[in-house]
Amino acid sequence: MTEFRPILAILVSAVAIPVILSLKGRPNLREGVTLTVAFAKFAIIASMVPGVLNGTEYEFVVGQFATGIELAFSVDPLGLLFGLLASLLWIVTSFYSIGYMRGLDEHAQTRYFASFAASLASAIGVAFASNLLTLFVCYELLTVSTYPLVTHDETDEARAAGRKYLAYTFGGGVAVLGGTVLVFVLAGTTAFTPGGLEGLATADPTLARAAFALLAAGFGVKAALMPMHSWLPDAMVAPTPVSGLLHAVAVVKSGVFGIARVVLDVFGTETMAELGVGLPLAAIAAFTLLTASIIALRQDNLKRRLAYSTISQLSYIVLGLGLLHGQALTGGLLHIPAHAFMKLTLFFCAGAIHVETHTDDISDMAGIGTRMPLTMAAFAVAAAGMAGIPLVAGFVSKWYLVIGALSLDGGLIFAAALLVSGVLNIAYFWPIVYQAYFESPEDHDQKPLLEAPLGGRGDVRADGGSDDDAHDHADESAVPDPQHVDHLGMHREDHEHHGGPPEGGWDDRGWRGGESTWFMLGPILTAATLSLLLGTMPYTAVFLRIVDTIVGNLPGVGV
Amino acid sequence: MIEQIPVLLVVLPIVGGAVPLVASLVSDRAGWPIATLTLIGQVGLAGLLAWTVGTSGTVSYAVGGFAAPYGIELVVDGLSGAVALLVAVVSLGVLAYAREAGPHSNSFYGLYLLLVAGLTGMTVTGDVFNLYVFLEITGLAAYGLVASGRDASAAVAALKYLIIGTVGASLYLLGVGYLLAATGTLNMADLATKLGEMAAYDSTLVLTAFGLMVGGLTVKVALFPLHTWQPDAYANAPDSVSAFISALVSTVSAYALARLLFSVFTAEFLTAVPVARWALVGLACVSIVAGSALAVSQNSVQRMLAYSSVSQFGLVIAGFAIATPMAVVGATVHLLGHAVMKGGLFAATGIIERETGATTISGYAGMGSRVPLTAFSFSVLSLAMVGVPPAVGFVGKWYIVLGAVNAEIWPVVAVLLASTLLTLAYFARLVERLYFAEATIHAEEGVPEDAPVTDGSGQAVSFGMVAVVVLAAVLAVALTAAVPALEQVLEDTLLPILNQ
Repeated sequence: MTEFRPILAILVSAVAIPVILSLKGRPNLREGVTLTVAFAKFAIIASMVPGVLNGTEYEFVVGQFATGIELAFSVDPLGLLFGLLASLLWIVTSFYSIGYMRGLDEHAQTRYFASFAASLASAIGVAFASNLLTLFVCYELLTVSTYPLVTHDETDEARAAGRKYLAYTFGGGVAVLGGTVLVFVLAGTTAFTPGGLEGLATADPTLARAAFALLAAGFGVKAALMPMHSWLPDAMVAPTPVSGLLHAVAVVKSGVFGIARVVLDVFGTETMAELGVGLPLAAIAAFTLLTASIIALRQDNLKRRLAYSTISQLSYIVLGLGLLHGQALTGGLLHIPAHAFMKLTLFFCAGAIHVETHTDDISDMAGIGTRMPLTMAAFAVAAAGMAGIPLVAGFVSKWYLVIGALSLDGGLIFAAALLVSGVLNIAYFWPIVYQAYFESPEDHDQKPLLEAPLGGRGDVRADGGSDDDAHDHADESAVPDPQHVDHLGMHREDHEHHGGPPEGGWDDRGWRGGESTWFMLGPILTAATLSLLLGTMPYTAVFLRIVDTIVGNLPGVGV
Repeated sequence: MIEQIPVLLVVLPIVGGAVPLVASLVSDRAGWPIATLTLIGQVGLAGLLAWTVGTSGTVSYAVGGFAAPYGIELVVDGLSGAVALLVAVVSLGVLAYAREAGPHSNSFYGLYLLLVAGLTGMTVTGDVFNLYVFLEITGLAAYGLVASGRDASAAVAALKYLIIGTVGASLYLLGVGYLLAATGTLNMADLATKLGEMAAYDSTLVLTAFGLMVGGLTVKVALFPLHTWQPDAYANAPDSVSAFISALVSTVSAYALARLLFSVFTAEFLTAVPVARWALVGLACVSIVAGSALAVSQNSVQRMLAYSSVSQFGLVIAGFAIATPMAVVGATVHLLGHAVMKGGLFAATGIIERETGATTISGYAGMGSRVPLTAFSFSVLSLAMVGVPPAVGFVGKWYIVLGAVNAEIWPVVAVLLASTLLTLAYFARLVERLYFAEATIHAEEGVPEDAPVTDGSGQAVSFGMVAVVVLAAVLAVALTAAVPALEQVLEDTLLPILNQ
């Protein structure tokens, strides 16, 4: 049935862009517009939830784009999952953005909020696109609209990160375009069909595999599959709300979402199994999730550690999709919202610490629990969820993933990878929580746990030689190492106090919100609560019901 | 009345172009209003013609009542109708820009309208010799326009353009002679039927004719390595002229090349002589890559845009040479879209130079806040050129890639896809500097009072100039909506001549 709500949900924030830009001199009104639009967007999308769960599909056709391809948006359960998530978290992030941007007295806030609105319009477009080409259109627009956010700082590091971001994501876009053309030529259509396009099942297997490889690689860039992940840690120079909503939820999930569309609605699980492309995808995901977890151990900058954690967790989702089994699919898809709530909490905490204490490095955070008790408590909850501890969202999705992996032949290795990664999660999150509450700035263990590369001591030299090139090293260290660059682009300089506790140790701010403004604490606690809700009552929190509907609609998937 | 429109389209600007010269006796500022009136009429006629072609098919007219194949025939089908309309609309748009940007002399507008006449003539003609005549009219008018800048460099650029352009036209003429020797006719439709019968496709005579004619036109299109006249001409001409010729001259030459391929040599020729097709496809691919590489290495923004044209026309010619209906539709869409985008980009560089004095890539740093509307339009046009959907630059590419995949020419598919990244390489750094870099030129030292003025006009920026750029940016996105209609018209035209 034709319905205006899908397009309205996209346009509501697109229309807000010129309004936000025109309110440059009136920040309160400008943020009012952002909040109004965020609530309106969520309300529009939420109003479609009951209908979609009952099997209604809302569709809006904008027009003919090219031969046989419409620019069309429709809301099906999978799209709703992503759309609902992104719009819900945009509300939370908008509040947080206000606290964060004003707390740091940032420049170019108008551009920031306008780009944010544009990003959300594109992200919802990605969610509701009803064919591969429409998805591609929104996917590219998402790249463009997030670029100003990555380069927000206008420093050399930010520009370099922006360049890398554009190069990687447009490179991925080219691969997606190539894959889309191939799918169109092979199947005669690119419209999403649960269970896959018929034309692909009978097409030349080599070409079909090539199409899949192109699409998976293209979307894999934003999903940060290794070896296409390295834009993500660099993009952490962006302001923290951007890292939180876009580089843990909207942008990276658009990559994962693209892979989900390709697996479920373009190729379909049966064709995937016939072509034998599921296993390589799962293998790459398993490799990524382990390797990224290990790299995360070595990161001292909190945001970079979170970025590697994101890379690892995104691969949980891809792994679930690659296994092509009912419960693994459920787990993978449920991990989309689960990871979003938890990672958003973690990023918000990192941002709050940055705003309040200008501390970015984990090694400077010993004892910070007295200064920011609520923040660190939320951090602890979310970190536990990341590791898959029960009662938090991450447990539910990981449960389904492991069950799904175990019920497959040869799935043991994937289950093992998931469990090992859980242990690694604890290894890189627990020290942060532990030192925050139980250690003091004067007396704490060495952080990070792994300083040197495994098996080495001190700096690694590519050729294993001795220190003839010590001078080079000294010169290089004058250039700010991205690890030590906070989002202001300053690097830690010994003569200038920047991060870490003030003279005389952390203040004690108590548990009643004295640690920060409620514009930041509120969103942090909301996000943490949402991850607890999803962990304790996954059905009531609607997301698991949506996921069940998605998986239930798939033909030939054993649950 | 309808069948006379093709000839009126050529006569109107020629007559209009003569009026300013006469009007010089009365006023030395009469050129602009006369040109505007003429081109408004031109747009009306071209619109009517395009609509007629779209609804009731090809329009043809025998000049002077001499029937083809002996007389000169003017033929307008979907492809030429679209290009004729583009020529009319863009030349009217550039006029809005030229009013303030100048040059203001009457002789300039005389040449301007003569160029419109030449371009329209190339578009509507159905006769290969007549095409040569209009090619020369176009060339001469363009040389004169490039030379109308007051700098010495403009004169040098025009001379270079003249020499290389004349060589190209002469090659084409030589090819026409060979064709005449082979078949005894000059009419395109007649040639198409006689070429296969009277002279075998792979005979040396026909192949030589093909090589000479296509070679001559690729000089005019400015494919690598025959592009050397183009960056100088674009960068040294007055801004209005840069915008005009970058949008139209190469575009119409590329159209003429397509016309030659499909209406004279025909798709059968391309099938019978694969080496001809591969040579053209190869040349186009080299042009895509080399043009982008040269564009990346430029410091002057206008020269970068000029090399970008080398690369983009590689894309267009590749689409034509692949010669499946999809690819040809794509090439046409990209041809029209590129004209709007490149014209808009050149117009924007003119405004930015006037407002801030910035002409180089490093000079563009931080200009986003100085000229917000122009810089934003510039960015939109850049992204459209890169092929970010839903801009028209993407749609053209989509069809061309689709055609290449259908034809299963995988290396070409790879080059076409990579062209997105190559284009990104030179546009992204410019957009990045516009918005995210520290300004290197500051307001107080902006344009020195005694700065050399390249085109003898003031430095003021009028509303019309900005409006043209903004309109180009809007069109770069909005034209996407017109593509399905265009595709319909083109398919009616193309399917018969591509024998599909």
